[in-house]
Amino acid sequence: MNPEVLDRFETAAKAAAASIERIPRTAGALAAALSLATSGAKRVLFADPEDLPADLFAPFKQAVNPITTPTEEELRCSEIGVTEAFAGVARTGSVCISVNHGMNGPMSLLAPYQIAVLAAENLVPSPRDLFSSQYLDGKGLTRDFVFVTGPSATADMGPLVRGVHGPHKLHIILLT
Amino acid sequence: MAQSVSEESPRQVANKSRKSALLKAIRMALNIESAAVRHNTQTFNRNKYRAVAGLADYDALKDLARATKERAIENLPALVHQLKEVVEARGGNVFLAANGEEANNYIRDVCTRHNAKLVVKGKSMTSEETRLNHVLQDAGIEVAESDLAEFILQVADEQPSHVIAPAIHYSRERITALFKRKFNTDLPLDTGEDLTKFAREILREKFLRADVGISGANMIVAETGTLMLVESEGNIRMSTMLPSVHIAIAGVEKIIPTREDLVPFIELLAASGTGQPLTSYTSLLSPPLKVPPIAFYGRTAGPREFHLVLLDNGRLKMRDDPVFRETLYCIRCSACLNSCANFQTVGGHAFGGETYSGGIGGSWEAGTGKLENARFNELCTGCSRCINNCPVRIDIPWLNDNLRERLSKAEPPSLTTTAFGLATGTQGDDTKASLQKQFFANYHVFAKFGTMLAPIVNRVSSSGFGRSMMEKVVGLDHRRELQPFPEKAWEELYRRRDHAAHEAKHGRAVVFADVFTNYGSPERGMATVEILESAGVDVVLSRVISGGRAALSQGMITTAKHQARETAEELERYIDDGREVVVVEPSELALFRLDYRHLLDHERFSRLRRHSFEAVEYLWRVLQENKLDPRQFYRAELAPFGKRIFYHSHCQQKTTHSDTPTQELLRAIGFDVATSQVECCGMAGSFGYKTEYYDLSMAVGQDLFAQVKAADQGGERQVVVSGTSCHEQVHDGMHRSVLHPMEVLSACRVPANGTHPTHV
Repeated sequence: MNPEVLDRFETAAKAAAASIERIPRTAGALAAALSLATSGAKRVLFADPEDLPADLFAPFKQAVNPITTPTEEELRCSEIGVTEAFAGVARTGSVCISVNHGMNGPMSLLAPYQIAVLAAENLVPSPRDLFSSQYLDGKGLTRDFVFVTGPSATADMGPLVRGVHGPHKLHIILLT
Repeated sequence: MAQSVSEESPRQVANKSRKSALLKAIRMALNIESAAVRHNTQTFNRNKYRAVAGLADYDALKDLARATKERAIENLPALVHQLKEVVEARGGNVFLAANGEEANNYIRDVCTRHNAKLVVKGKSMTSEETRLNHVLQDAGIEVAESDLAEFILQVADEQPSHVIAPAIHYSRERITALFKRKFNTDLPLDTGEDLTKFAREILREKFLRADVGISGANMIVAETGTLMLVESEGNIRMSTMLPSVHIAIAGVEKIIPTREDLVPFIELLAASGTGQPLTSYTSLLSPPLKVPPIAFYGRTAGPREFHLVLLDNGRLKMRDDPVFRETLYCIRCSACLNSCANFQTVGGHAFGGETYSGGIGGSWEAGTGKLENARFNELCTGCSRCINNCPVRIDIPWLNDNLRERLSKAEPPSLTTTAFGLATGTQGDDTKASLQKQFFANYHVFAKFGTMLAPIVNRVSSSGFGRSMMEKVVGLDHRRELQPFPEKAWEELYRRRDHAAHEAKHGRAVVFADVFTNYGSPERGMATVEILESAGVDVVLSRVISGGRAALSQGMITTAKHQARETAEELERYIDDGREVVVVEPSELALFRLDYRHLLDHERFSRLRRHSFEAVEYLWRVLQENKLDPRQFYRAELAPFGKRIFYHSHCQQKTTHSDTPTQELLRAIGFDVATSQVECCGMAGSFGYKTEYYDLSMAVGQDLFAQVKAADQGGERQVVVSGTSCHEQVHDGMHRSVLHPMEVLSACRVPANGTHPTHV
């Protein structure tokens, strides 16, 4: 992936108040990054991936032991939700999360801290590219998904407040 | 504001089918809501300009969005049919509701069938239009509004004041006071974070316990049954995903053919609205979802169920209306509200009806309710700033001109207005317009008379008695300082001028003798003639003629069309002769470049448009085409008022992109130019003269006055404006000398020394 695109994505994601780190695309590096990011959390939710290989997450699951089939109470009362993002958008800093798959929907929404794992090759230049068969095998044309651009926010209570009904923090782990 | 706070509540003045409610609403808004509205809309507006500047193909995207909506509305019946089949094939239900009552009853029946006790709602303006909450509550169902703005409105029992930020009129302080009062709490609620946390904790429980979730939809894809849902708080994601029953209610005009057709709207909606590249969450959902619902708190969760309620409520009739069909292209982004100076100052409780507000709001209110509900569209001054900001290129001022025409025509015939109309040259049915409207529309008739009898008329119109009569009969506010009529109009000064022999080889022009310059400020007209002639342009002055601006702005379209034809006939003679049309008054140029597309046939309009220029724009072009150094002619250091200038361009001049040449030329000849950052000065033609709008007009002007003062740091600047009404506004509001750019050039002209201008 063109490093200039990675930079653009990183700048835009930060502008949208997300945090972002780049790591090599290895299971070990991912486990280390996720262990650090989730350290201190008692309950971490993890939705098994739809697109990235499951074994990429195996060392993380071993190290952190996240909840993958939560009870309703665990879903209500967890601190962190980890999901994959099947696409990212360079211009806007958005991550795209498939919401009609497994526990992706509630796990990317209910916990106050959201972590999205994105492979750099799935970055597209603009939102419009999700609606083209030339990118991502046209997944954006057929899937139900959400463009997530930063944490939830509101200006309805006067000043800008980050953290409303959805996550208060969004952290993106970019696999390069 | 020193006045006591009005007792009128937003709810009481929501229906403005009577003008008195509009006036009360303006007072209420100026007293209570203005500060928050101004701050919030101007923030959106500034961010919008930044966001769209980041779109390399902004104009092409707008064309694509427009074309997509045109196509979708054209094929709407087929798209409804297709969408119904697709959603039903996926296991969902579609109900086409003829009106709000049908929609509400259907939704209530779905809820009662599920024995619903609690319904959680994402933000939906369409459900505001149908007053859904009342119907559900009457059936014993608790309704929890979960968008924080809608939550505030539910607590306060008010209607929305903005299409994407419904509680935009609430400051943080007022929300704190409201919550403390209504929830009777001692919790510290003194920051946005405190208030958000307070509401979040109440609403999180509602999401988890709700039996039914109700959402709107920003777009609906016919081919796949996909809803596009745009939000930032996460409440719409919760409402559509957590309860097992999801009902979406949307106007039938929201349907587009394919997923690919979402492209221009994904790219433009957030940028045009909040000014973000995208909001926090843009969801694409094709319900019912496949993933099973979760049974929180040991409740049972049935299988997922989805109902799509498509609301007609007048929309299909709008589709058949050649003028108001365009309203259905609206994607409710709010750019027209945020770029509107009047809206920025009073918000949607004054500039709006019961549901919809701002420039486009009148068409929505009239189309989905009664024509009289659109009376608040009087607050559209036609400044045109919304036109370029609309992502689907709706000509909103034109819609409002038409609403005014229809409102006037709906009035019973009156002998007074008819007689007044016949005497002043009003055409056709336009004689039904009020005396005030006809007075301002036929300004040229009174101005001609006023100039002929200047000494007498000026004395009467400056007397207390004269002013009070003018206020009573035609509603011209007595607080406005009226410029005296000149003893000699521009046309007469032109005929009698000392015509120094200039070599006229750099261009040939006809200067359009508009009525405002002719009777109101002949000195600006003369400066234009002299400057052009001294730059080597062969100049003639057209016949004095009313271009139709005044009539159009009063909704007197028949009269405006008549005047447009007259004007085109006059100017075409000169264009045939190889002359370009030069216009001093920017609002008249905007007629030729913009409005005449509605008033003349296409060929005539485009020819006149191609050949028309704002005065300085034309001069700058002549200088550049002939490779003339402007400093050969004008030098800032010669100006008696110094080199520091504050330039405010006219609103319609910005829209027609004819303001930059003035800035470029003034800078090229050495001026230090500060510019205004307001959309409009607030005078906007006749608007600020009208007695009922004087206070609003002056309140709008405050931003411009403050910018002038701020730019004065380090020495007072000479104020320079291009528009006649901007001139009056700055003069009235600041009591400072104001010049037209052509007068500036006159003041700093290099004395002719007999040599020819040097080519560079």
